[in-house]
Amino acid sequence: MAFKGGDDAEEDFGVKMVELISTSEADYAPNLRTAARDPDVELIVGVGFLLTDDLVKVALEYPDKNFMGIDTYTKWTDAGGLKEVGEVLPNLMDIIYEEHKGSALVGALGALVAIHYDKPYIGGVFGIEIPVLWKFEIGYKWGADWAISWYENNYPTQYAAEPTTSIVNTAKKERVLYTYTGTFSDITKGYTTALPMYEAGAVAVYNIAGPLGIGINSVVRDIAERDGLENGPPFWIGVDANQDWINPGFVIASMMKRVDFGVYYATKWVKDNTFRDLVESEGGEITLGVGTEVAGVLTEGIMISTGPLGELDEFIEMGVKAEELTGERILLGSPEWIRGKVEAMREAQPSWMWDAVAELETKIRTGEVEVPLAFTADDIAFWRDIFG
Amino acid sequence: MPRLFDAIREYLGTLKRSLAESLFALLIGLLIGAGLMLAFGYDPIMGYISMLKGFGIFTIEGFLAVLAIIALGLLLAAFIGAYWAKIPQALARLWRKKISGRSISLVAIVVFILFLISRMLEFLDNVELMEMLAYSVPLMLTAITFAVGMRAGIFNIGAEGQVYMGAVAAAWIGGHFALPTGLHLLAATAFAMLIGAAWALLPAILKIRAGVHEVISTIMLNWVAFFHVPYLIINRFAGVHAERTATILPTARYPILGASLTAVIFVALAACVVVYILLWRTRAGYELRLVGDNPDAARYAGINIRRAILISFIIGGMAAGLAGASQVIGRPLLGWTLPATLGTVFGLGFSGIGIAVIGRNHPIGGIFAALLFAGMLNGAKFMEYDWGISSELVVAIQGVIIIALAIPALLAMSRRGVRRLKIRRGPR
Repeated sequence: MAFKGGDDAEEDFGVKMVELISTSEADYAPNLRTAARDPDVELIVGVGFLLTDDLVKVALEYPDKNFMGIDTYTKWTDAGGLKEVGEVLPNLMDIIYEEHKGSALVGALGALVAIHYDKPYIGGVFGIEIPVLWKFEIGYKWGADWAISWYENNYPTQYAAEPTTSIVNTAKKERVLYTYTGTFSDITKGYTTALPMYEAGAVAVYNIAGPLGIGINSVVRDIAERDGLENGPPFWIGVDANQDWINPGFVIASMMKRVDFGVYYATKWVKDNTFRDLVESEGGEITLGVGTEVAGVLTEGIMISTGPLGELDEFIEMGVKAEELTGERILLGSPEWIRGKVEAMREAQPSWMWDAVAELETKIRTGEVEVPLAFTADDIAFWRDIFG
Repeated sequence: MPRLFDAIREYLGTLKRSLAESLFALLIGLLIGAGLMLAFGYDPIMGYISMLKGFGIFTIEGFLAVLAIIALGLLLAAFIGAYWAKIPQALARLWRKKISGRSISLVAIVVFILFLISRMLEFLDNVELMEMLAYSVPLMLTAITFAVGMRAGIFNIGAEGQVYMGAVAAAWIGGHFALPTGLHLLAATAFAMLIGAAWALLPAILKIRAGVHEVISTIMLNWVAFFHVPYLIINRFAGVHAERTATILPTARYPILGASLTAVIFVALAACVVVYILLWRTRAGYELRLVGDNPDAARYAGINIRRAILISFIIGGMAAGLAGASQVIGRPLLGWTLPATLGTVFGLGFSGIGIAVIGRNHPIGGIFAALLFAGMLNGAKFMEYDWGISSELVVAIQGVIIIALAIPALLAMSRRGVRRLKIRRGPR
């Protein structure tokens, strides 16, 4: 995703991007330094919260270069004594995302789908249990809970008449089946974790473990093949990118965390010389999310793929490019066919479902509701006590 | 002094044949790697020049410095090898204030060489050289684990899990106790080695008491550690951020010499030398090697085979524990913390196996193999940054070179295995 942002920036700002991939966390500082020593480099982007301390270290060593971290919290670390907690370096910016809000939206959508198809559960396959994922987990569970309350308030008679297999009649703490797999790379774990969830009656499973989504998708494909299905349920929910194209008709929606926007914006700010001013005026931290603003300009980074199909095309295009590069088949069909299937799948769902999600989005935007943000062990204990 | 020269000559003599083999293998590995680069449309010569940058010897000064440091290191190893038995005596005499010219000069020479090396490192400020040395520290230690196991006829691949345990042990002592400077560092290091050894004790006891094959038990214990240590980090030892341990207190950190290199490298080198002395200059070490070379003869000679196996596991565990500690209290990674993803320690134990094989299962050979591997690791970024060679291809090239380098040693090992089988079967 960050690569896509760099790619777009190359096109629009005439810059050139050089990549360095770390094979282990021990490579972070050496890699950052290598880029910082290059006299032609203006902006160095570190992707991932683990780079936090190394970004601080190298940003202090090279005060003339601009640094930006995705998901990092450089402001809130002392980097082992290199600076004060809360101190902002003039050449270092954190870009963080409101994943909890996006997760609440897909959580609500999942619960509504479960209501519509009279299924008892929704599921979530998580990676390694780190606080970043707690944001997803609690957001997702909170969203599901919000949707069920919404249904109760708006459709009280239908709510009372729901069959026993409906999620509304599942105990509050058991509605979301979730597993931390302990990996962000073992795709088979995605399969073995998602399979029992679907078998237990989960209508949709949220992928919060990157490539493990391929494993989740395999489960869905196997079920579809077995039962001769053209569309979900079962569904799964994409993450980070728009993943609706991977298996059109079976991905109900994706929670998009647009890391590419972060890289693109940072490049733009460096090019128009506002980067350091923004670091100062925004306190070192830029939040991209639902309805977020930077210096008074709407600058968002979290969205859910229920709107127009425009952004789907961007990602289909990436698939087409990848097919050209590798000569391998990546897309399941022609771009038109994918668009058609995604559109048909969305139209097959009742409109009140989409309306409810849109309502939640508006309420989050206006601040009428607040999605809980779990980031400490105490937070997570508190919210798990409520939602299971 | 003649004793010193003899030691050097002896050492170089044993090195000569294997060195020639290794250089030939290296050449083949480099050629195959070049083929890979050509196949993917990159210039292999430019690629390798970029890789060389990772060794810190791209400039003339850097090259000379590396040569000088290697020479100093060899001198130190040979010196300690020649006078190893005298050095503790000399220290003890100094301690008892029985000052004699000889004991002072012995200790002074060791200290002086160490001082020279550290001064040179600081003076040169060669970032890449120091980065390479930093990468090599844990690798030379995990190489010991496998090498000592092989010497005792044990296929100990448990370094990986022992590294995790050592790392979390060091993080616990280093981040959660307030101890005075010096003592803190010592306590964290010693505790990490202790826990590493304790983790190695499990497969050792299983092997000795129940005959459980060490490959099975160590692999399984690696996984136990892989899941247990993140649990400990998140639920017991986390600091402000729950996905990593508390920051190591300044009193428990090895002083930084430059870039990511700290004084822990001296501890690692000392560990290699100590293991060398243990294995080649003591009775227990001789017995251990005999058990590995010919268990039947060892049994016939009345050697306690179980004890030898136990010792090999303990030495290996301590080395691996130290390797884990070196990544936590001996390298400023992630702001002096250990992440629950284990990314800073993952794979070190398995890399150690390859390095041990290249170093002919010898702790001193392991140092050179670790330096070579570390240089390639550090050079990888230049291959990607300068020429856009994808990191996956770089790792493949590294792998090809490592495999090529390991082949002579692997052949020797399999030859020995076949010979042993023939002996067991006896003449027809």
